[in-house]
Amino acid sequence: MCDFSGRLIAWMDCELEANEAAVLGRHVRACAECRERVAAYEDVSRGFAAYCDVVLETAMVTKIHRKLPRWVPVVAGAAAVAAVVLVLALLPRSVKPIPVVSRVAEARPPIAPKTATNTPNPVQRRHAAAHRKTQTANWAVAEPAIQIAIPGDAMFPPGAVPEGVNFVANLSLADGSVQGLRLQP
Amino acid sequence: MSGDSFSLNLPLARFATDSCEATALYRELRKPLLRYLAGLGLSSEEAQDVVQDAFLSMHKHLAAGGSQENIRSWLFRVAHNRARNCQKSYARRLGGPLDPVFDLISHEATPEQAVLAKEKFHRLDKAIRSLAAPERDCLMLRAEGLRYREIGEVLGIPTSTVGDTVERAVKKLAEKCNV
Repeated sequence: MCDFSGRLIAWMDCELEANEAAVLGRHVRACAECRERVAAYEDVSRGFAAYCDVVLETAMVTKIHRKLPRWVPVVAGAAAVAAVVLVLALLPRSVKPIPVVSRVAEARPPIAPKTATNTPNPVQRRHAAAHRKTQTANWAVAEPAIQIAIPGDAMFPPGAVPEGVNFVANLSLADGSVQGLRLQP
Repeated sequence: MSGDSFSLNLPLARFATDSCEATALYRELRKPLLRYLAGLGLSSEEAQDVVQDAFLSMHKHLAAGGSQENIRSWLFRVAHNRARNCQKSYARRLGGPLDPVFDLISHEATPEQAVLAKEKFHRLDKAIRSLAAPERDCLMLRAEGLRYREIGEVLGIPTSTVGDTVERAVKKLAEKCNV
């Protein structure tokens, strides 16, 4: 074995004093064995650096996988199925279409604007609608019913309905769901 | 408020200069630090946390008037010590064998070359795992471009010991990898 072989790696890493490095450099140029060793050490050093890159890349990829553990999609799918089954079980067996009856058009042909004093406010209208409820005998109202007073301005564009006109929405309920909707001016 | 006034002697000029230097250092050393910490066995999240902590400490160190000399080895030392604190045991270092699927194997390599490269990588992986911890530490810091003196500062060992350790480790790897 060459006497200089123990200093080759330090020489490669530029860790020797200048004069010692110069002596070793001259020797390496002349010694085939040392040249071969230097080439092998350089190869190992490059391999080690590449290995460090792979370690880092592996850590990064592991991070991506760790973001979403394998059990998460399975549990999420099972939870979604369970939710759908639960909703289906709780729904009523038959759902009737909600009849929507609007007699706005037929009830009020062009109406002349009324004075503000004659226009009931929504609260007054609600009382009036409660009274009118008793008059709608031909409408099969399912009990209980809810009445909501809605200002005309809120339902139609400005100018379409005379100012101050309100509507009453009668909602008929059955089995906890809306069975009918009727609008009355 | 009274008319009393006081002056704040903030070293703004120095702070600005240090901030620029800190930014440059961050750009230069973030990836080497991450690679070193991943080599120590930290997960990506842990490594990024440690790097962030290390740079925060450096910022405080500089803002407090700390020395800027050997700041690179200072950063690696802080990161190294924090990584040690993260790892409760040395056994956590380096997980299972690595599979170089996204590695040195070039896309232009033929299937035969790819197989040979993979075999070589596995030999290297096995050889690296057989190294003693200080040998691996020295090689990892050397791979990040640290001088022997800096490696000694990071690991708290004399420079001459670093030289001997690096030489021993490289020779072991060369022997085991048959190069």
